[in-house]
Amino acid sequence: MIKKKQNRVFKGGVNLFDTYSIPFCNIFEEISSDLPPELFNLALPDKQSVKHIIATLCPTEPWALPNWVILGHKTTVFLDKIKEIKTSLFPEAKCSVVISNNETEHISAAKEYAVANEWMEVFAIEAKYPHDDPVVLSKAILNREVNFGQDTLSQGILILDAQTISAIHKSRVLNDNVDSRFIALSGTGLKENEFINVQLGTSVEKIIKNRMKESARCRVFVNGPLRGKEINDFTQRIDWTVNNIVVLEVQDTKVMFPMINTDRLHFTTNLLGDVRACVYCNFCDDICPVNLEPALYYHCYKRGEKQRARLYNLEKCIECGLCSFVCPSKIELLRIIKECK
Amino acid sequence: MKKILSKIETPLNKNLDRIESFIHSHGKVNFLFGAIFEAFDGLLRSSKHTAQTQPFIRNNIDTKKFMGAVLIALVIGWVLPAMYFFGLQCVISRLIVSFGVGVFVVDVIWAIIAREDHISEGGFVSCLLVPAILPPQSPLWLVGLGAAMAIIFRNIMGGVGHNLVNPALFSRLFLTICFPSFLATGYQVPFVGIPDLHTLRYGLDTITHATPFSEFKAEGTITSYISLLLGTANGSLGETCRLALILTGIWLIKMKVANWRLPVSYFGSVFVFSGMFSLLSKSTTAPPMFHLLSGGLVLGAFFMITDPITTTYNQKAKWIYGIGCGFITVLLRNYTTLAEGAMYAILLMNLLAVPIQSFMIKIKYRT
Ligand code: SF4
Ligand code: SF4
Repeated sequence: MIKKKQNRVFKGGVNLFDTYSIPFCNIFEEISSDLPPELFNLALPDKQSVKHIIATLCPTEPWALPNWVILGHKTTVFLDKIKEIKTSLFPEAKCSVVISNNETEHISAAKEYAVANEWMEVFAIEAKYPHDDPVVLSKAILNREVNFGQDTLSQGILILDAQTISAIHKSRVLNDNVDSRFIALSGTGLKENEFINVQLGTSVEKIIKNRMKESARCRVFVNGPLRGKEINDFTQRIDWTVNNIVVLEVQDTKVMFPMINTDRLHFTTNLLGDVRACVYCNFCDDICPVNLEPALYYHCYKRGEKQRARLYNLEKCIECGLCSFVCPSKIELLRIIKECK
Repeated sequence: MKKILSKIETPLNKNLDRIESFIHSHGKVNFLFGAIFEAFDGLLRSSKHTAQTQPFIRNNIDTKKFMGAVLIALVIGWVLPAMYFFGLQCVISRLIVSFGVGVFVVDVIWAIIAREDHISEGGFVSCLLVPAILPPQSPLWLVGLGAAMAIIFRNIMGGVGHNLVNPALFSRLFLTICFPSFLATGYQVPFVGIPDLHTLRYGLDTITHATPFSEFKAEGTITSYISLLLGTANGSLGETCRLALILTGIWLIKMKVANWRLPVSYFGSVFVFSGMFSLLSKSTTAPPMFHLLSGGLVLGAFFMITDPITTTYNQKAKWIYGIGCGFITVLLRNYTTLAEGAMYAILLMNLLAVPIQSFMIKIKYRT
């Protein structure tokens, strides 16, 4: 029954795990900061304003930190943490736990747990990017319309990921200090994909210095190449919002026989094609998670009518970047959308 | 295969690099051959551009693969069956003429005159469609002229992505107006059986017959559905083996290259409307199944109305578009003297796609 509901609610999106399978090796190296570490300090809202807590245990990007790093096999221990947070901090809130539906072990444990705790609901969803986006989740799980860029808290929804829940539990419930977090390092520019435990305030340079391949030129992205930022200033320090660092090789020379040498182009920043005119292939509106038609914006933009693009629900775009990702003509739709906004 | 390729890879890459830098450093050479080199290079090597704005990774599908899928489907859908039914020589000579004139002469000259910076891959699809919608025994110069018209016309409209109507269909319309006699005759009867040396090359090159639909109009006889489906009834070069066309069309839909809404709405509406008309006047109009299986309808439904550029972008508007195509096809076939209505119906709907699109957009966004 749950599954049926999900299919109706979610639209578009793409399962990135099929395309980019990133094997991580399970070494947890600890990296400490040169400066005294910063402490985890999330400004939590007051008791009454939170009506719903959504715990997203469903990372949809393959380079994001997987759940088992935090949860291990102890689902109930983790759910107890949620319970303690709820009872001590937000006694009136309801809680929805969203789990990726291939993690059957967690799902069955959570469902059992939910039977005894009527304030908790369990949702199993397919791990399709970007279905863990706050806008998409609030619409699908709670049927609330949140605008892109708007804080979900204004609607009383608090969205937390697994690591943040652990940290809140440790710092607020146990009154302990949290000064480090797990980060997933991956990408074609690195020697190995691994998880690290860094102290907050460590510089990016210190993390990636000895891990990059020497020969390759690389670009570094924080929080993934789809939604994240590219960073050029490596002295930047890690804070709590950094979930993963992706280092991609720059493939800006032509590669012979791209059909058989796909591994050389895979997961690099190469466009994998030439820029052409839009061919109206409908890939972009099929994949858009919020039902927009990005090619319309492209045409308005090309005719120089940026104003007109706003008529077509432009403000609903959650800037997930999937339309640019799939476009066979390699049109930079997301840049166009941002310029039109 | 991979080993051989990897051996020639490095020297070839170096030479191509050398040619490229030579072309780019000499203005006049670049002016003449830049586009041709780009097109050739594009077949062998990947792009060197990298993503400069978010998102920084891109999907591994580009317009080349898109067109490649259509080409593969067309080769399996009509070239191979046609080789069997009409003889190797008949098909291969037409393909050579069509590609030679269309892609290698007209497109290249255009790229030089108009100073385009690349030659589009879309020309291959148009040039593969032109012989498919002409009679098997049409003279070779007619095929060449058709391919040239298709490419010139498409380029005048602004190239791939800007063509309002399907270039192959436009060139067929042009040829029908200029040379009606060549398009009304030359429908060679397909060969059936185990081929010997002569039939392998030429098929049954001496026997021609009227197409099933004109036969129906003249005498009221209905060709058997099985022979229409398998391709043993005569017709244009590429439209006879409907079974292969249907299978490859379904493959295209599965690959998401063709949009399923269009063939479904087209077939559905042809079936419904022709059923309605044949209930009204049984003697003069063809039954629905005959409509579906005769003429270029199957070819059109999978390869022409699904051409994404000439349809509407909005997905709901695609239903209207497909139903409109079906309605006009049935009207043209039943109540005009034209032997084949599907092609003209698609052309007409190509033109109507723009108003349908803007109408649906107006409704959807209430602007
Ligand atoms: S994906 Fe690209 S080419 Fe296809 S319709 Fe959208 S903008 Fe046009
Ligand atoms: S970036 Fe915006 S328009 Fe493009 S797919 Fe995502 S939500 Fe849709």
